[in-house]
This record gives sequence, C-alpha cells and structure tokens, in this order.
Amino acid sequence: MAMPALPAARYPNSELEKKMGALAIKNVTKSFGDTHILKGIDIEIDDGQFLILVGPSGCGKSTLMNIIAGLEGPTTGEVHIGGRVVNNISPKDRDIAMVFQSYALYPTMNVRQNIAFGLETRKVPKKEQDEVIQRVAKMLQMDHLLDRKPGQLSGGQRQRVAMGRALARDPILFLFDEPLSNLDAKLRVEMRTEIKQLHQRLKTTMVYVTHDQIEAMTLGDRIAVMKDGIIQQFGSPQEIYERPSNLFVASFIGSPSMNFIDCHLAEQNGQIGVSLQTDSDARFLPLPNGQRLAGRVGQEVILGVRPEQLDVAHSDDNVAAISIKVNLTEPTGPDTMIFTKINGKEVVARVHPRDAKGPGETMRLALDMSKVVLFDPKTELRLE
Amino acid sequence: MANNNKWARILVYAVLIYAVIYYLLPLYVMITTSVKTTEEIRTGNLLSLPMHITLDAWRKAWGTACTGVQCTGLSLYFWNSVRMVFPAVIISTTMGAINGYILSKWKFYGSEIVFAMLMYGLYIPFQVLLLPMAQTEGYLGIAGTTPGLIFVHVVCGIASTTLFFRNYYVGIPDELINAARLDGAGFWRIFFRVVLPMSLPIVMVTFIWQFTQIWNDFLFGLVFSSGDSQPITVGLNNMANTSTSVKEYNVDMAGAIIAALPTIFVYVVAGKYFVRGLAAGAVKG
Amino acid sequence: MIQSTRPAQYGFAERWLPRLVLAPSFLLSLVFIYGFVVWNGYLSFTASSLLPRYEWVGFHQYARLFANDRWWVAVFNLFKFGVLFIGISMLVGIFLAILLDQKIRFEGFIRTVYLYPMALSFIVTGTAWKWMLNPGLGLEKLMHDWGWTSFTFDWLVNPDMSIYTVVIAAIWQSSGFVMALFLAGLRGIDDSIIKAAQIDGATLPRIYWKIILPAMRPVFFSTLMILAHIAIKSFDLVVALTGGGPGFSSDVPATYMYAMAFTRGEMGLGSASAMMMLLSVSAVIVPYLYSELRRGSR
Ligand SMILES: Nc1ncnc2c1ncn2[C@@H]1O[C@H](COP(=O)(O)OP(=O)(O)OP(=O)(O)O)[C@@H](O)[C@H]1O
Ligand SMILES: [Mg+2]
Repeated sequence: MAMPALPAARYPNSELEKKMGALAIKNVTKSFGDTHILKGIDIEIDDGQFLILVGPSGCGKSTLMNIIAGLEGPTTGEVHIGGRVVNNISPKDRDIAMVFQSYALYPTMNVRQNIAFGLETRKVPKKEQDEVIQRVAKMLQMDHLLDRKPGQLSGGQRQRVAMGRALARDPILFLFDEPLSNLDAKLRVEMRTEIKQLHQRLKTTMVYVTHDQIEAMTLGDRIAVMKDGIIQQFGSPQEIYERPSNLFVASFIGSPSMNFIDCHLAEQNGQIGVSLQTDSDARFLPLPNGQRLAGRVGQEVILGVRPEQLDVAHSDDNVAAISIKVNLTEPTGPDTMIFTKINGKEVVARVHPRDAKGPGETMRLALDMSKVVLFDPKTELRLE
Repeated sequence: MANNNKWARILVYAVLIYAVIYYLLPLYVMITTSVKTTEEIRTGNLLSLPMHITLDAWRKAWGTACTGVQCTGLSLYFWNSVRMVFPAVIISTTMGAINGYILSKWKFYGSEIVFAMLMYGLYIPFQVLLLPMAQTEGYLGIAGTTPGLIFVHVVCGIASTTLFFRNYYVGIPDELINAARLDGAGFWRIFFRVVLPMSLPIVMVTFIWQFTQIWNDFLFGLVFSSGDSQPITVGLNNMANTSTSVKEYNVDMAGAIIAALPTIFVYVVAGKYFVRGLAAGAVKG
Repeated sequence: MIQSTRPAQYGFAERWLPRLVLAPSFLLSLVFIYGFVVWNGYLSFTASSLLPRYEWVGFHQYARLFANDRWWVAVFNLFKFGVLFIGISMLVGIFLAILLDQKIRFEGFIRTVYLYPMALSFIVTGTAWKWMLNPGLGLEKLMHDWGWTSFTFDWLVNPDMSIYTVVIAAIWQSSGFVMALFLAGLRGIDDSIIKAAQIDGATLPRIYWKIILPAMRPVFFSTLMILAHIAIKSFDLVVALTGGGPGFSSDVPATYMYAMAFTRGEMGLGSASAMMMLLSVSAVIVPYLYSELRRGSR
C-alpha cells in the first residue's frame, strides 16, 4: 500500500535528541514486594533498530515496556534513551509514543480527538494539529473513521487508531505492546507487513513486544527472548534461529518447534557423532568438526534438529541419512509434515509434498549435520 | 405438567400483585387523607375515597400549619432544605470524585490507609460525633446555621461518595491513564479530559444517593440547626407531633407528601440509575 | 501484597499533587470523625452534664448507664427490633426477588413500586404509619367499618407492643431495597449453571435452594451489614412514629443518646451510650472490613 512520508511535526526539545534514538537498558530489575519480576535485564540497541521482546505470557515483557516508558520505575538499574539516563524523567518528557495491548483509546473522544489529545497537550497550534491528523489518517487509511467513537469501531480499526495516535507524534522511540494480539489471523499478517513498512520508512527506533515468534522473526532487527524475567538470548533473528543459546530459546523460536532427540555422543572410526535408532534403521551419524566435543564422548546430549533440516535423502552417497517409518502425515500445502520416532522421541520432518510417503511406509531422511545443534541435558545450554 | 405450571405462574403473579398493593397502600392513604376534610376523616375510614376533594390541608401544611410555637407552615423548612441540599450534595460529590480518582489511579504510600479510614468512617454511628460536633460548631460560630449543617453533611458524606467513585474508577483500565500520561497530560488534565467524561453514570448515582440521604436526614437537622435553618424533616416532625387540641391528619399527610416529593421526583426520573447504583455500590462496598 | 501498581511518579506535581488533593478529606475525617470519636470517648469519662465539664470521673458514667433501666429497655428494644426487622426484611426481600426473577411482565413497574419507600425519609414513613396505626381512626376503624367490631389495635399506645409498630413501618420501608439488592445478585449469576442443573433434572425450588442461594452469600452478607447499619442508626423512625413512647417503652439507643445528651442535660451519660453504640458496631464491622479489604487487595 502507498505510504506517504511521515509528517515532520516539530515539538520543542525533540530536535536535538532526534539523532540519538538508541536505547540502552542496564541491569534493570523490578520487584513487587517479594516477587521478582525482572531479574537483571541488559539490552542495548542502535538508532533506528527494531527490537523485539518475545517470551511466554507473564515473563515480564509489559513490565519492561512500562519501565522503558517511565510508567513504572525500575527497582534497580538504568534506562538510557538517546544517550541520556531517563530514570528521573517523566514519561511525557521522554519523547516516546506507545501503542498499548488493549489500545487504550479514550472512549469518550472520537478518533480525531483521540489523535489530537497528545498534540493539544503539547500545545501544537490548531492548524498544525489538523495537518497531522489528516496525514496520519491518510497514511493509515482511516479518513472515514475520524468522527467515530472507539466504541463504534471494529478491533482492527481500533488498532489502526491506536497506531495513528502514536504516529501523530514524532517521537524518538516507539513502543508497541502486543499491538496485534487481539486481531484475527489474517488482519494480523496484514498489519505486520504495514508495521514493517512503516519502520522502513520512518527509521525510528522501535521496541515491539509479542509472544508470537513469527512476528518476532519477521519484524525484528534484534530479538530479546525472555523467560521468567531473564533475557535468555539477545541477538539477530538469524542468530537466534540458528544458534539458540539454550533449549528454551530453541523450542520457543521456530514453528513447528525444533525436534529434540536424546542420544549418546560416541566415537567411531576416529569420528565423533551420535547414534540414532528408528523403527526400521540404526545409524551412527558423524558431526562435522566433532573433534571440539572430544571431551564429552560417552556422555548424554540432546540433538536439536529443526524440521526442515530433516529432508528426503535423494541419493545414497555421502549423506547422513536414516530410514524411518512414517507414523502420521500433516499436509500444510507448501510442505508436508512427517511424524516419526527417533530414539523413542516423536520427531517432525518438513518435506516437499511430492516426496511424502503415507503412514506405515518407510522413507529415508537426510539430516543436515552442519546445522544441527547439541545441548547439554543438565544445563540445557547449547554445546559450542 | 403444563397446567401445573400455569397455576404456579398465576400464583406468582397473585403474590407479586398483593405485594404491589401492600407497598402502594400507604401512599394511597396519604394522598386520599390529604384531600379530605377533618370531618370526613372522622366519619370515613382509611380506605374510603374522599367525597369532596379539597386542597385546604395542603394550603395549611404549606403556609399556616403550626410547627411548635410558630405557625408558618412547611414552606420555610422546605426552602431551608433546598438551600442546604444542593451545596452539600455538590461539594461531597466533587470531593468523592477526586478522592476516588486518587485512591484508584494515583495511589501512594499510605493511600490504602486513608481508604481504610474512610471506609470505617462509613459505619461509625453518628451519635459519637454529635456532642463534639455541636461544641465545635459553637466555637466556629456556625452552630444552628445552614453552612454548619452543610459542613456536617459533607464531612459525613465524603466516605460514601469516595467509595462509590473509587469502586467505579477501579474498573477503568490503568492503560488508559498511562496512555494519557504519555500524551503529556498531568494529574488534572487526565481527570478532567479522560476520567470525568467517563463518569456520568457514577455521578448520577452519587448525586441521587447523596440527595436522598441529605434531604431525608433528620438527626443532623435536629441537632445542628435551629429556627431559620431547620430542614423539612424537622419541620414535618414538629408539625405532626405538635399537640394541638384536634389532630389534623389531613394536614400531616399533605406535609408528609410535600417532604417526600423531591426525593420521589428524583427517584421516578432517575430511578434506573438509583437501583443500579445501590446494587453496584452497596453490594460491593 | 498490594496488587495494583503504584505508578512511577515524577516531579513535584505527580509526586505531591495526589497527596495534597487528598489531604483535605483526610484531615476532615481525621479531625471531625476520628478526633471526635476520641473527644466523645473523653467526655464519657467526665462529669459533664448540661455543659461539658472536663473533670475525670473514670467509669462513673458507664456505671450509671448500666444501672439505668431506660438504657436496658433501649438495648432490648434494639435487639427485638434488629432481629425482627432484619429477619423479616430479608425473607420478604429474597422471596420477592426470586418471584420477580421469573421473567415477569411489567417487572420494571413492579420493581419501582417495591423500591419507592426507600426514597422516603423515615420521618415521612413514620408520620404516615402513625396515622394508619392510629388506635382511634386508623386500621382499627377500618376493621370496625368492615364489620369486625371486636378488632382492637392499640400497639402505638401499648407500652408492651409499641416497638413492634416501628418494626412494621421499617419493614415496609426497607424490604423493597433488600429485594433490589438480591435481584441484582440473582441477575449476576451465570445462566448456564441453572441450565445445566435443569438438564440434570433438578426442580426449580431445588435449584434455588442448592445452587443459587449459596452463590448469593456475598450479597447476603453485604445486605445484612446494610440492614444492621440501618437498625443501629434507627432514630428518625422511632421519633416520628412513637417518640420513644409511651413513656420510654419504645426507646432505642439512638433516641436514648439524643435524650440524654440534648434534652435531659446528661452529656456524660449520652456520650457513654454513644461509645457503647460505637463499640458494638465495631465488634461487627472491623472484622468484616478487614476481610473485605484483604479480599479486595488480593
Ligand atoms: N503490580 C503487580 N504486582 C505484583 N505482580 C505483578 C504486578 N504487575 C505485574 N505483575 C506480575 O508480573 C509478571 C509479569 O507481568 P507482565 O504484564 O509484564 O507480563 P507479560 O510478559 O507482559 O505477559 P503477557 O504476554 O500476558 O502480556 C506477571 O506474573 C504478573 O502477574
Ligand atoms: Mg503484556
């Protein structure tokens, strides 16, 4: 869709800091009485980056967001926005805009007044207000909604208004708290794309909370995976997908989820690898540069294999392949999911529909041993 | 089975209608008595319809009936009540709204204690306050005046108005307040622009509640007012309990209706809110 | 644990404004409610009579109070009145609420009729019932006119029965209110529970007895608190209906306190009786409030 350039609305004090929208969170903790919600969060991103906070419900994402916005104070630690410590700066002076999980539209004001409220408070001249409202409305295609009250809007329209209200300001930092979680699947995908385009156009630093890993992967420049108030891993989407730092991250990111196969690390013919057993086969599969694991030979490890790393073996030679018996198939359209058992564990493989066999039949799957990862079953950390 | 059901329903309706009559009869008696002559009251009975309708009793109740030593009717008292009730209601409702806003959206260390204090104040029998309050109003020089009475009603009304508003505001999501804070609005601006426009239902409830409470009050009126500031309830009681040679029940009933009219009017016009508010506020609190 | 977040507050305005704005109400209730409770408590230990006399006499006034027949008449009257008024109002109110919950036509009208007495002042109610229960011309005459010539109804002037006239009028005034509270409670119950029970073959009375009424416990308790509150405060109705008489046969603590403090010049005795009222209310209210506040903050 067409996206005209954002209005360059000007507010006092924001011009200087515009250039430095970077966000740094330094050792932030948050406790309510004896309950520790955040346990030492460290995140630093560059100007213009899109940071995703992802994690299961209740892990403290909204709390962290509120701390960045200044709506709640951290128990300890510092928040830097645009290079200055903002701990003692009120939310309204932090020059940020936020889209809330429940949208938080003012129910007694119509859409126009909702958008204008923040401008009015900041004493933007009336004429300029109208221009901003017009441009935002056009950009989000909601000109026809301007005179309605939030109660008269659909969920998707409300979401747009909430976005519009944030966009009407020209902040150095945008915060989105699960803005799409209340929308239906189709609208969600559309809005996801729009937000991505928006970011590419505005190049403003954004922090985006979600518990949807697809949103996390598609939108983020940087992803922070959280659990129980701790950052499990912080890195680029690719890093997190390919080199998850622990079992939790590996299982949380990716759909269908990564397969975890319990096995022994063994040495055969001078090569270090793992033994796999299926209903119809047993193999020793060597790991490329397995020598780094020499010290662990004989120990239990968990082999992490993503479904697409289990593909049909088209030739017999030189591939780490194993014959399996198909238990169940799930066609998804572009791919077919094959369910089988390896080392007694349920395993999913993602194959081209053309290659899929029916339940009860056997087929040969090749493992991409250069991409598989190993975890220590005790510490649950990935083995380097 | 179906027949059984039919009879059950008829029985239900019969009981309900019987109850309607029970609740309405006193009103019927009051109205019919008030338009009878003293003569007719003596010859007829409670339920007999008036033969000739006369408004003499009403005129007397309003203008010339004796309330103790003076014989100026209830009009004086009526206007005293009007002069007292509006300031008292407006002040206590306003304070309740702001208190409720703070106690739900701007909590601070110790605000829960203030809330608990107000809640307990809701249940204190006012008898414990009467003597010290009478002394204090004497010192302050507002004893026996309308402002003095308004003051007492405000002090004793804050607890319930605060409770009403606080319970209502707890239901407003905090995110809304946060959004307004990010939009740059402060304490007052959020209150006047965001919270207050959402408060119409609870303002109605509180207004009606306070209006009926204060209009109907007798104890404070009796203790804290005198002569030219006494409210209608005191006037009515004086009138009905003045021992004259002949008891004029028609005048008493006319006076009772005059005293009841404002609250019945409010109740009929806005009864929907009244019921809802009593249910919501009272059941919760 | 405090559940809802205290927002981070910045600068003078956000940090101090809420406290500043709440301060007048806080001070008003601190001084004019709690301060006065203490003051009244102090008065009750003094020799005050027509005027306050701050001469410490210990529990002398309480001793006089407990030795005073009129006080005990008032206490027992309140007891009789409270039990009957609360019990019958509850029964009538619950019964009417259940009947009215049966998808009744004209429900709005009927509800309005049941509830309007609540809008009246107790003085109005008292004046009206005083006329209707009048021994000469009221109910008694009506019955005589209808042919029941031996009917007598002299409760208003009968010292043994006068308190019960207060009960009659109070029930008329407040039972509709109980009905409204319970109706609101009944409406709040999830329909699907009732449907499920019906499918299980439970009869309607059984559903009410076993499922719905137990679910109304909170409503029951808050209604009980409100009625108890009305009962203990009842002053206006007694004054308007019986004036505490004949003699002091229908006195209640509230009228007793008023009589002592303001007409009989027995300030010390009046304040001591007020303290007794406060103590008995607190014995009920404090545990109730404590559990309410704890529940509210969880
Ligand atoms: N005021 C508070 N007092 C005590 N605990 C709180 C408070 N606010 C939040 N919590 C707790 O903090 C934890 C994190 O809450 P938070 O809202 O940050 O989760 P979230 O990651 O945003 O979850 P979701 O995905 O469901 O939005 C939750 O377990 C919540 O119960
Ligand atoms: Mg959240």
